[in-house]
Amino acid sequence: MAAATVRLDAIRACLEGTVPGVMATCAPDGTPNVTVISQVEYVDAGHVALSFQFFSKTRRNVLANPVTELLVVHPLHGATYRIAARYLRTDTDGPVFERMKAKLAGIASHEGMADVFRLRGADIYEVESVEQVAAPRHDTLPASPNRLSALRRAALRVAAATDLDGLFEALLDALAQDFGIGHAMLLLLEAGGGRLYTVASRGYGRSGAGAEVALGDGVIGTAARMNTPIRINHATLEYRYARTMREGVAEALVGREIPLPGLADPGSQLAVPLACGGRLMGVLYAESPQELRFDWDDEDALLALATQAAAQLGALAGGGAADDAAEPVPPASAAAPAPAAAPPLRVCHYAADDSVFLDDDYLIKGVAGAVLWKLLRDHATSGRTDFSNRELRLAPDIRLPEVGDNLEARLVLLTRRLTDRQAAVQLQKTGRGRFRLCVTRPLRLSHVPR
Amino acid sequence: MPAILPPPTSPLGPEQAALLERRVSIVVASRDAQRRPHLMRALGCRLCADGRCMTLLLPLRGAAQVLEDLRSNGAIAAVFSEPTTNRSLQLKGDDAQVLPATAEDETLAAEHLERFVAEIGELGFPASVAQTILCAEGGIAAVRFSVREAYEQTPGPRAGVRLGDGG
Repeated sequence: MAAATVRLDAIRACLEGTVPGVMATCAPDGTPNVTVISQVEYVDAGHVALSFQFFSKTRRNVLANPVTELLVVHPLHGATYRIAARYLRTDTDGPVFERMKAKLAGIASHEGMADVFRLRGADIYEVESVEQVAAPRHDTLPASPNRLSALRRAALRVAAATDLDGLFEALLDALAQDFGIGHAMLLLLEAGGGRLYTVASRGYGRSGAGAEVALGDGVIGTAARMNTPIRINHATLEYRYARTMREGVAEALVGREIPLPGLADPGSQLAVPLACGGRLMGVLYAESPQELRFDWDDEDALLALATQAAAQLGALAGGGAADDAAEPVPPASAAAPAPAAAPPLRVCHYAADDSVFLDDDYLIKGVAGAVLWKLLRDHATSGRTDFSNRELRLAPDIRLPEVGDNLEARLVLLTRRLTDRQAAVQLQKTGRGRFRLCVTRPLRLSHVPR
Repeated sequence: MPAILPPPTSPLGPEQAALLERRVSIVVASRDAQRRPHLMRALGCRLCADGRCMTLLLPLRGAAQVLEDLRSNGAIAAVFSEPTTNRSLQLKGDDAQVLPATAEDETLAAEHLERFVAEIGELGFPASVAQTILCAEGGIAAVRFSVREAYEQTPGPRAGVRLGDGG
């Protein structure tokens, strides 16, 4: 029977691990070997990677005789494909390795084998041919939502944003409304590059603005460190954020840390990097209580959308600085009437890390903390309530990093954090590059020097 | 046709023989003259009473290369895996013979399909998946070989351990 050639990227659903693949190898003495394999990872249209977990007969065979054959099955209708593949090399780090490691953790915990499966390497194979050996009787594929059409709607939604706040909202709206993803968050990379901070989220009842994730930590941190999407289709302890122990504990008790929002026990996780011009800018993270929620098309669509958002983030941040440079610094506004009746709000600023506490509860630190402290001091001394982005950028007492940080993003973060805390101090946007400080209780400021 | 000379004893114990009776997924591997391996899913299996000889049923459609390899050199490996438990076993032989399927073989393949539908149904797969992957519409062939070696293949620390006497 003449076999029709099939493109590898047309059968990616067979490589999700839903139905385990099977691999045949041959020893130098001519003895064939066949084994069930836990993971076949799609690398690109010409390559797959297999997990190297054990020093097995299969592995000894491919090192001596690199030609192999794989049998993979489409989980929805059983169409079966035979892939001839030649072993090229083993990667022990890098994006493919990290993607497989994360996915394997999901598979291992799904199979109850978390202690058994450990990824030693990603064995990279060149695909020589793909052949269908069993065809579905009917075209029984249930119609899945068209992700290309969803991506188009999402791209237009995101492109319409004219400022950062609008961009963050449009991105999460797109996930919810165009892709039906109800739980998501957006994190940006801080200037030092060591951590990501949350600027917006959906589906958690609070924005979680300011919550941080270290590079390399969990699905989000790994996607950032490797600048590659990470997708896990099963609940796994290994990549779960240790947030459950913090639930119900007052934020003040856990120190200067804002708990990361998120599902306690996600069944599916997908993190895609925002990168532009070779520079990582953040991570878009989606999750679901349901297992197997995100497939390859979702990953493609979200990565494309995140890439668009990254370009726009760069343009809006740069454009914002140009815009407000053209506008004069507003004159100090008239002193606002002091809300004398309410009890005073105690505000404490620690110079060491620019952290700010409101009535002994941790609020924020870093650039956002320094910004708030400057605003509150100006307000206390002159009664000013109206401010511009430009004066903050020029202010000597806000130590903005030389390059890479984004004042606008920090203002969005600060605004959302104040909203989350329902603080007696709020920020309100009043125009392009301008905002107002709204204070509803008298302030009592204190400062702890470095 | 040369007589099959089975090994003096089977490397399979009662536990392995029982696994082969269960609702297992079966994949057969062969290799050609260039030592390039080929594989195909089998539609059923039958272990003979003394455990020394295995018969596998292969679909003619899709198994042409595997059958050609087996006819030319007889080297065979087959993995048996129970989807709901991941319990797996690999058998090897070097005297595989390709035989025409009997009526009994046809019945065995039909029964195996029915039982496999139930097995993977427990994992949430629709019957159409089993019907596609175990399709016998193009006809079947029987492959018989002496069980020379058996290996534990269940994922875990014992995976790859050789079973039985041969060492």
